[in-house]
Amino acid sequence: MPILEVKDLKVGYVDVQRQTNLAVDGVGFTLEKGETLGIVGESGCGKSTIARALMGYLRPGGEVLGGSIELAGKFVFDLSPSALQKLRGEIVAIVPQNPLSSLTYHLTVGAHLREILQFHRGLSAAHAKTETLSLFEETGLPEPETIYKRYPHQISGGQRQRVVIAAALACQPAVMILDEPTTALDTTTEMQVLKLVKDLRKKIDTAIVYITHDLTLTNYMCDRVLVMHDGKTIEQGYADKIFEQPKEKYTRQLVAAIPRVDEPPQREKIAEEQLGFKLLEVKDLSFAYKPQWSIRQMFRKIAPKIVVKNVSFNIRKSETLGLVGESGSGKSTVANIISGLQSPISGEIYFTNDLLHPKGENRPPEVLRRIQLIFQDPLSSLNPRHRVGTILTGAIMGFFGVSRREATDRAVVLLEDLELPIDFLKRYPRQLSGGQQQRVAIARAFAANPDLIICDEITSALDVSVQAQVLDLLMAMQRKNQTACLFISHDLGVIREVSHRTAVMRQGLILETGETEALFEYTKNNYTKQLLTAAQRRDYIIEHHELILKTGSNSPRKMPFQS
Amino acid sequence: MLMALVRRLTLSFLILFMVAVFVFVATEVLPGDAIDVYLSADDLAVMSDADIEEMRQRFGLDRPAWVRFWEWFSGAIFGDLGKTLIDGNDIVDLIWHPLLNSVILGAIITAFTLPTAFIIGSITGYKRGSRTDGAVSTLTLVGYSIPDFVIGNVLIILFAVWLAFFPAVILVFSNASTSELLAVSLLPALTVIIGHVAHQSRLLRAGFIETMNSEFVERARLSGLPEKWVVFRHALPASIIPMLNSLALYISGLLAGLVVVERVFGYPGLGRELIEAVARREVNVVQGITFWSASFIIFMNLLADFAIIALDPRVRSAKSA
Amino acid sequence: MSEATTWNRIQSSPGTMVGIAIVLLHATVAFLAPWIAPYEATSIVGFPMLPIGTPDFLLGTDNIGRDYLSRLMMGGRTSMFVALVAISGSMAGASFLAISAAYLGGHYDDFVMRIVDTMLAIPGILFVALIVTGFGRSEAVLIFAIGFSYMPGAIRVIRSHALTIVPLGYVQAARLRGMSVFRIFLRELLPNCIEIITVEFALRMSSSILAVSALSFLGLGISPPTPDWGLMIAEAVKTIYAAPMLVLLPSLLISTLVVGLNLASDGLANAMGLDAARGLN
Repeated sequence: MPILEVKDLKVGYVDVQRQTNLAVDGVGFTLEKGETLGIVGESGCGKSTIARALMGYLRPGGEVLGGSIELAGKFVFDLSPSALQKLRGEIVAIVPQNPLSSLTYHLTVGAHLREILQFHRGLSAAHAKTETLSLFEETGLPEPETIYKRYPHQISGGQRQRVVIAAALACQPAVMILDEPTTALDTTTEMQVLKLVKDLRKKIDTAIVYITHDLTLTNYMCDRVLVMHDGKTIEQGYADKIFEQPKEKYTRQLVAAIPRVDEPPQREKIAEEQLGFKLLEVKDLSFAYKPQWSIRQMFRKIAPKIVVKNVSFNIRKSETLGLVGESGSGKSTVANIISGLQSPISGEIYFTNDLLHPKGENRPPEVLRRIQLIFQDPLSSLNPRHRVGTILTGAIMGFFGVSRREATDRAVVLLEDLELPIDFLKRYPRQLSGGQQQRVAIARAFAANPDLIICDEITSALDVSVQAQVLDLLMAMQRKNQTACLFISHDLGVIREVSHRTAVMRQGLILETGETEALFEYTKNNYTKQLLTAAQRRDYIIEHHELILKTGSNSPRKMPFQS
Repeated sequence: MLMALVRRLTLSFLILFMVAVFVFVATEVLPGDAIDVYLSADDLAVMSDADIEEMRQRFGLDRPAWVRFWEWFSGAIFGDLGKTLIDGNDIVDLIWHPLLNSVILGAIITAFTLPTAFIIGSITGYKRGSRTDGAVSTLTLVGYSIPDFVIGNVLIILFAVWLAFFPAVILVFSNASTSELLAVSLLPALTVIIGHVAHQSRLLRAGFIETMNSEFVERARLSGLPEKWVVFRHALPASIIPMLNSLALYISGLLAGLVVVERVFGYPGLGRELIEAVARREVNVVQGITFWSASFIIFMNLLADFAIIALDPRVRSAKSA
Repeated sequence: MSEATTWNRIQSSPGTMVGIAIVLLHATVAFLAPWIAPYEATSIVGFPMLPIGTPDFLLGTDNIGRDYLSRLMMGGRTSMFVALVAISGSMAGASFLAISAAYLGGHYDDFVMRIVDTMLAIPGILFVALIVTGFGRSEAVLIFAIGFSYMPGAIRVIRSHALTIVPLGYVQAARLRGMSVFRIFLRELLPNCIEIITVEFALRMSSSILAVSALSFLGLGISPPTPDWGLMIAEAVKTIYAAPMLVLLPSLLISTLVVGLNLASDGLANAMGLDAARGLN
């Protein structure tokens, strides 16, 4: 008998106009003891709603419209509040997406576990504490005694996620739900956390529902996978099968859209011999945040926090340089410095052999036009009060001083280039999807007819299928306009797809720069190897590199210049 | 943590100083000076320039502004607000008893308002959208929309005119004993309490709803913790902090309320003294009352900041902010 | 949030619609009062203290024989006018200071915020008292004092909203297009703060009408013989035993106006997805 059986589940949300929109539409699945089921889908497909419905919980406005959930022999929707309270935590537990906001900020980390143990397992305070410490130990938290007394904001993201996992495991639940548990983490930390979950599952025999947008992770984590789209089940099956030979068209597209680190790129880049002269040269760039004014400063000199340290590279005409690194590596700061949003503390930037002024405001308009920046979040990069037409023509008129008619003509061409319908000119950004918004942002950048575009994580807010399309269009625009590109991303697969050369950044330093293919195949750098390993999501490699991983991200070694 | 405290303290002194400058400058830029304010046009007509000049010297107005400012400021922070213009009485003597009376009334009001508002706010916030919430929220909206002086007069009409329980006007001297004051403070206190409970409970309700929708409350609920525990241990402490943050606004509002009810009921407090001083155009008195009230607010804000530092570990461990 | 859904939400909330109706009714009467009032509000037209229902004097007369209905109709005009002018000026100034402080940052921002902290430490009523003592009672002084005392709170709220907009891509992109600070302010920042400014305006309108009438009641606001509800209550209190209705009628009018304004601004804030019950000073 399966531990969990979901039949024809329908959940809807009531909107402002009092209409019900189906978020989950007839989904059904079963889960055996000790099994791991992955639920995969792009944002808004209803997977998080299912996660909460399994615990008999709906967010405000939600309503169960049909179907049933049977969990360990009990029908979840028929339970009394007190029975439901017993079910939650004891039989089914959840690991939420964002550990920082999911932990109560004014309580210590230890208190979170202690209360669960006291209420569900009736332990005394002292007993609950020793039990908490051993759970911390089990989930690989360093120095459990210290962590116990810490507050959530005082520990690292990876540690917080381990705390939440420890809390979920406190009563050894029959089913554990992981709701995008690693989305907020870096790849290496992510892989450590997932490995921990795999190991723990072996030990305590818990069934897992693993919810994610990342198909490669389900391949790594799950026995079976359920693919969802628009609240409906697309297909179900064994994990490796779905990944290797998907049956449905939607799944096939999804799999095909995933950029692979371990395979040569599918997209054709601009040929090496067409790359031109040295367009941009960055020499010894450093950046630090000035310490805030404080009393302490008057007594003792506080070292400024260095974010970028002696970064040098160059980009040729039409070339794409990939800049890869984990969050906090300083890669976005590099983008901001080159575009002139932030001023470096030292170093020079040469653009077509002319020294650039560190402040964007002081650069000649012609230079501002020739370097364009595209941002990560597409919605916030477009003024919500302006129509797409105004956004594009405003930029064109500002740069070239042409008439409105001429500007509109050019805007139409740009929309066509980016495969957007012309009536988008009259739309507001909010009326477009994320991918469409990002294409408008790309159109605005290319409206300047730039020589260099800087793409700062431009696809990381997008679903994979949309990402694939945006990358295609970006590369086509580059080819058409012979534009060079500084492509910044944390995703090695994407970097391999688009860039001629790749630079790897960590803690403000560029560790290595090289031809992309050579670097991906033969890198000698340990950190780059780690990144590649984590990105491939293969068990045997992870175990192979266990040693490196352990010293890698859990306790970051302090750089000599940090105080 | 110590650094955070020191920083708050320094900032408070800075603001105190700026308030003093502001209060002083506000009267300094008046058309003319205190003499012109004090003397009526008739007086000015019959007095010779020499007389006026003599008066200026008597009041020390012929000295440079910064000297006078420093004298006033150093006096004011150590409890000397100078003399009144008209009869040269010591201002602190004049306002001391009214000040204490107002503090008593304010304390009674606060002791009742904050706990009540906290309870009403959290219950309506918790039962958001329910019938109770709808009814209470309508009441509180009406409650804080009606001006204090209207509530006060309606209470007078009800209890003094129609039911004749109390006299309409309080006949107590400003140096009356505490028990005498308590006896007459019932209606004034009730007047201010109605409006303030309504306003504060609305603020709390909004804050509490936000907390109850937070991810940490959701996680606590999904951990199968008892609902009461989730509310009292996780949610309520988190909604006390915004309450502390708006303490200055509460006190400002309370002061306005006190000024009004003291006028309505003739309660012998600082507010009544203020209105009389304005009528007599006693700039020095108004200045003194304003500066001391602002100092009190700054001090309470500092206490609130300390409480927040104690309650919120995030603020506590922030290095400088 | 497009305009259409905001309006839909307002319409679907009965409380908000009632609030808007009350405010419109008050505004209409106040606007038309000089034409529709039966008598001149400041002239003595009958015996003093005539009761309600006297022929020719529907709501009676006050303690010196002025027609009460006419006075009630005229009594909201001045305070509404003072509040409207004061808050419009105040919001314009606050928006400019708040948004520019958020955008420019640095020492300018620090300076503005320290001034705001200072102003917030001075209770509004004492600030007004100080100004009135110095400058005497007049509508201009009142407008200045009220407008000024409402600024710091509004600056705080608008600035914290503007701070979330400044780092957004579209503002930074405008900077990188070489757009002037002035144009960035007008084209990018101000239009995206307009919702919060509208809500602040509505909330502070109602609270400043309360303030004006309270000040008039205290003798710090509008001065006689201008008909004003606050003043009328202050005068009627003297005869409260003989004619409580003279106190109750203007009380009712002020209260309904403010209830209406609060219902409307609450609904407006909800419809825009903002939080109405914020601290007001």
